[in-house]
Amino acid sequence: MEQIEPFAEGFFIALAPEFVLVIGLFTLMIVPNMGNAKFRIPLTQIRIPWLLGGQRGKFDSDPRLPGLFATVFYTIAFLLTAVSFFGGMNKTQIVTPSGTVMLQIDEFSRMFQLIFFGALALASAASVNRIPATSRADRSLSGLYNNRRQVDFYILLITTGLGMAVVALAQDLFMLFIGLELASFSTYVLVSFMKETKEGTEAGMKYFIVGSVASGVGLYGLSLLYLWSGSLGFTELQTAFAETGMEALPLIALGMLLVGFGFKVSAAPFHFAAPDAYAGATAPVAGVLATASKAMGVLGLLRILLIIASPEATDGSAVWLVALGVLSVITMTWGNLAALGSTNPKRMLAYSSVAHAGYMLAAITAIGALNWEEGHVDMSNDAALAVVTALIFHLTVLVCFKLGAFLVLSMLESEKGGHTLESLGGLAKREPIIAAAMFIFMMSLAGVPPLSGFVSKLLVIMGIVKVALLDVTVNSDLVFSDIHWVWYLALLMVINSAISVFYYLRVGLVMYFNDPEEGREGPLARGTPVRMAIVLCLITTVFFGVGAGQLIALAESAANALVGAW
Amino acid sequence: MTTDWISVPLVGLPLIASITMLAFVASASPAARHRIGPSVRMFTLLLSLGMLVVTTAMFFGFNQFAGEFDWVTMEFSKFNHEVRYVWIESLGIHWTVGMDALSFPMVWLTTFLLPVTIVATWNEKNAAVYFPLILMMGGALIGVFVALDLFMFYVFWELTLIPMFFLILKWGGHDRKYASQKFFIYTFTASVIMLLGLVTVYFLQPENLSYAGAWTGRTFDIPTLTAHAQSVNGSDWFLGESLQKILFVMLMIGFLVKLPSVPFHTWLPDAHVQAPTGGSMLLAGVMLKMGAYGMFRLPLAFFPHAAHHFQLALLALGMISLVWGAVVCLGQTNLKKMVAYSSVSHMGVILIGIATMQPLGWAAALFMMFAHGIISPMLFAVCGAFKHHYHSMEIGAMRGMAKHSPWLATSMMFGWMASLGLPLLAGFVAELMMFLALWHFLAAEGWSVLWMVGPAFVLAITAAYYLWSMQRTIFEGGDETQPPESLKGQSVPDIGDAEKLAMIILAVFTILFGVMPWIALDMMNGWTTAFFHDLLIPALNRGGA
Repeated sequence: MEQIEPFAEGFFIALAPEFVLVIGLFTLMIVPNMGNAKFRIPLTQIRIPWLLGGQRGKFDSDPRLPGLFATVFYTIAFLLTAVSFFGGMNKTQIVTPSGTVMLQIDEFSRMFQLIFFGALALASAASVNRIPATSRADRSLSGLYNNRRQVDFYILLITTGLGMAVVALAQDLFMLFIGLELASFSTYVLVSFMKETKEGTEAGMKYFIVGSVASGVGLYGLSLLYLWSGSLGFTELQTAFAETGMEALPLIALGMLLVGFGFKVSAAPFHFAAPDAYAGATAPVAGVLATASKAMGVLGLLRILLIIASPEATDGSAVWLVALGVLSVITMTWGNLAALGSTNPKRMLAYSSVAHAGYMLAAITAIGALNWEEGHVDMSNDAALAVVTALIFHLTVLVCFKLGAFLVLSMLESEKGGHTLESLGGLAKREPIIAAAMFIFMMSLAGVPPLSGFVSKLLVIMGIVKVALLDVTVNSDLVFSDIHWVWYLALLMVINSAISVFYYLRVGLVMYFNDPEEGREGPLARGTPVRMAIVLCLITTVFFGVGAGQLIALAESAANALVGAW
Repeated sequence: MTTDWISVPLVGLPLIASITMLAFVASASPAARHRIGPSVRMFTLLLSLGMLVVTTAMFFGFNQFAGEFDWVTMEFSKFNHEVRYVWIESLGIHWTVGMDALSFPMVWLTTFLLPVTIVATWNEKNAAVYFPLILMMGGALIGVFVALDLFMFYVFWELTLIPMFFLILKWGGHDRKYASQKFFIYTFTASVIMLLGLVTVYFLQPENLSYAGAWTGRTFDIPTLTAHAQSVNGSDWFLGESLQKILFVMLMIGFLVKLPSVPFHTWLPDAHVQAPTGGSMLLAGVMLKMGAYGMFRLPLAFFPHAAHHFQLALLALGMISLVWGAVVCLGQTNLKKMVAYSSVSHMGVILIGIATMQPLGWAAALFMMFAHGIISPMLFAVCGAFKHHYHSMEIGAMRGMAKHSPWLATSMMFGWMASLGLPLLAGFVAELMMFLALWHFLAAEGWSVLWMVGPAFVLAITAAYYLWSMQRTIFEGGDETQPPESLKGQSVPDIGDAEKLAMIILAVFTILFGVMPWIALDMMNGWTTAFFHDLLIPALNRGGA
C-alpha cells in the first residue's frame, strides 16, 4: 500500500475525482458571475476588463447552466473514479507527516464513491429543468436573480458529493465525521430549498433539527471514544476494542455513534423525520437522500460495527448483535406498515426506504452472528464477505430504481403533481415509456425477478441464510432448531417483501387503471436531461438484474477490501 | 447435427419478440398503435405457430434425427435438449434448460394453446399490446417448464405474473382492479416463502457439487440436486427429516397457492371471472399446472421422506379441493365462476393423484394436468363467447341458446361433457386412473373402500351442475320465434369463424387424447415409473420409512 503525504507527489492524482469536484465548485462560483465588468485604474481613464460582475452574457446567466455544469463535473468525477477502480486499483493512503492515516483509497471506498457520484450526477441532471427560474424577460428586481438560485442549489449538491467522498475515504473517525457533517449540512439546505412552499420549510426544519440532534449524539459518542482510547483512527480503535472493548464507556460511545448513523440510514426509531423530509424536498433531492445519503449511513455503520467493534473482538458473536437484530425487525416492519397507509407517493417511497434500511440492518446483524472462534475464521470471513457484497450490490442498484422512481415523480412535480397518488393516474396513457419505467422501478423495489431489485434482495437473503447455516453440520440428525436465529430475519424479510407488494403494485394500478386527473391530460413537460436520466435508470435496473454477474464481482472486490482487512 | 440449442430460442424468442414489440408500440402514437394492431397480431400468430411446429416436430421426428432421443425411458439426471450457459458464475447460477417427460407435455401444451388462444380472441381490443402480452406469457411459461436451474425457475415463475397482471388489469371485467391485485399479491406472497425455502436448500446442500458457484460452493442446478437426493444413502441424506418437513412445507406453499388447492384457492375465481378470455385460457390451461409441475420437479424430488410424511395431508387437501370446488359450483349463478370452481375441483384430482404415492396416481396427475390444459381453455373460450354475445355471464340470462346460437351451444355442450369426464374424452382417462390409484392406495393401507364414496359423489355433483347450467342456457325456455330479452332487440349472434376454428381444434384434441391417451400417457408413465424406481422407493427404503 502506497502512502502519500498531503500535497506531496501523486497526491492530486490519487484524489483526482475529489479535486474535480473542488474545481467544479469553484467553476460554479465563478462562471455564473462573469460579466462585462471593468476595473478603472484610479486617476486614469484606463479600464481593465475584470469580468467578475456587471452585465452578464446570455451563456452564463442561463438558468440551466449550473445544472449542466454540475452534471458534467459529477460525470467526470464518476468516470475518474471508475478509471481508478477498474484500471488496476492502486491502493493509496493519505498520511499526515506524523504517520496517522487519514484517508485510504481502495476498492471499497471507490465503489461507494461510484454510488455517490452516480446518484448525484443523475439527480443534478434531473434538476436541470426543475428549479423554478425567473424568466429572462423579467426586468424587475427578481430578474436580477436569473440563475442565482440554481447556482446555490448545485453548489450545495457538489459539497454534498465532496462530503460523501470524504466519508468513503476516511480512515479516522474525525475525518469521517467532518465528511458526514459537510454532506449533512448541504442536504439540510437542499431539503428546504423550496422555501416558498410550506412543506419545504417544514421538511427542512424537521430534517435539520432531528439530524443535528443525531449528529450531536454521534459526536458525543465520538468524544467518549476519544476519551477512552486517546485516538480516533480506525486501526487504533480496533486494537483498543479487541483488548478492552467490553467496558461500559466504549459500548455507550458505540451506541451513540449508532444513533448518528441510524438517522442517516433512516432506521427506526430514528426515521421520523425521513417521510416529511422526502415529501417536502424536490424529488431529485429526496432521491439523493434515499440512495446516496443512505449509502453513506451504511458505509459508516459498516466501518464502525465491522472494523472498530469487529465481531472478532468478542468470543462467539458481536455485542451489538441482539440490539441490531431487534432494530432491523422493527425498522422493516414499521416501514412497510407505514408505507401501506401513505397516499403520498414520496412518503410511500420514504417508508419503503425505511423498510430497505431494515433489510440492510438485518444483513449487518447476520455478520454479527458469525462465529469467529479459531478454526472457524475462514468460513466466517467468507460469510461476512457474502453479506457485505450483498449490501454493496443493494446500495448500488438502489441508485438505479429508487432514484429512478423519484425522478419520475420529479417530472410530475413540474406540473404540481407527485404529492398524491392520483396525480399519477393515467400516466400509462400520457407517457407510456415513463409509466413503464415507473412500473419496472416499482417491481424492482418489490423484488420481482429478473430485475436488479430481486437479485439484491436474493443476495441479502442468501447472505443471511448462509450465516444462519454456517455452524450446522448437515446430516440426518439436523433439526430445525439447530439453525441460528438470524434465519428468522430472512423469514421476516420475505414476509415483509410480500407486504410491500401491496403498495408498490398500487402505483402500477393507478398508472394503468385510473384516468388522468382533471387538467393533467396530455404528455408531461419536456426535459431531455431528466428523461435521459430515467431511461438510464431503467436500463441499469434491468441490466443489473439480468446480467448481475459483473456487478456482483465488482461488489465482491469492494467487499474484499473491507473484510479482507480483518 | 445436434439440435440441443432449440429450447433456448423456444424461451428467448417469444420473450424478446414481445418486449421488442411492446417497446415499439409504446413509442407509437395512439393512431399508429391502432393501425399496426393487425400486423402485430399476425406476427404473434405466426411466431406461436412456428413454436408449435418445433415442439410437435420434437415429438414426432426426433427419433430419426437424433438417435438418443427417447421420451419414455427417461432417467433422472438425463434431460433432452439440455443446454447450459453460465449466467452468474459466483453464485452457481446457470442458464440451464432441458426437457423430460414431465416438462415436455407442458411445453407442447403451452405452444399448442398459444395460437389457439390468439385465434379464439382474434378480435380483442388494443391488439398491438394484447397479443405481445399473450406471447410474453407463453415465453415465461415455457421458461418455467424448461428451466433446470432453481434461480432461473424462480425468475420465470415470477415473470409469468407480470403479463397476466396486465391482461387482467387492462382487458378484464368490471372488478378487474381488485382481481388483478389479489392475483398478484396472493401468488407473490406464496412464492417469496418458496424462495426462502429454495435459498435454505441451497445452503444446506453439501459443498462443491457439480456446477457449484465460484464463491458460494453451492449449486442451483436442479438435476444435480435431484441426483444427489437420489444417490445418498439413508443415514447420509443431505437433510434431516425434521428439516425436510419444514422445507417441504415452505416449497409446497408456493405450489399449492398456484395450483390452487383449498384453502388457498380464493384468488382463482376472482382472477378468472375478471380476466379476459385469452387470459383465462392461459391461466387455467397452463398457469395452474405450474403448481403441479413445480411439486413434481422440486419438493417431491428433493424430499421424498417429507412427501411420504405429508401424504395424508396432501390427500386431505386434494379431497377437500375436489369436494369443495364441486359443491361451490352448485351454488354459482355466474357461468365463468362456475367453470373456475370446477378447475379447483379438478386440481383436487391432481393432488389426490400425487398423494396416493404410486406410479399410477402420479401418471393420473400428469395426465390430468395435460387433459385439463386442453379442456379448460375450451370452457373459458365458451364463457368468453357467451359474455361477448349476450353481455352477461349469468346462467339464465340466455335461454334456448341451441336455437339461436347452435355453434356456441354445441361447443358448450362438448366442453361441459369433456369436463365432467365423459368416456372417450380426455378428462375421463385421468379421472379413471385417479380412481384406480386411490383404490390401490386404500387397499394397500387397509382402509375402508367407503372413502371412495367422496370422489365418486363428486362426479355426480359435477354432472349435476354442468347439466343444470346447460339446461338453463341451451335448452330451456325462450320463445322460439323471439330472440331472448337480454339481447335488447339486437340480432341473434353466433360465434365468429375464428372462434369456431379454435373450438374445433380444442374439441379435436380433446377427442384425440381421449381415444388415444397413450400418445401422452406413455411418456408420463415411463417418467413416473422411472421416478419411483430410481428415486422414491430407494430413498424411502434407505430412510427406513
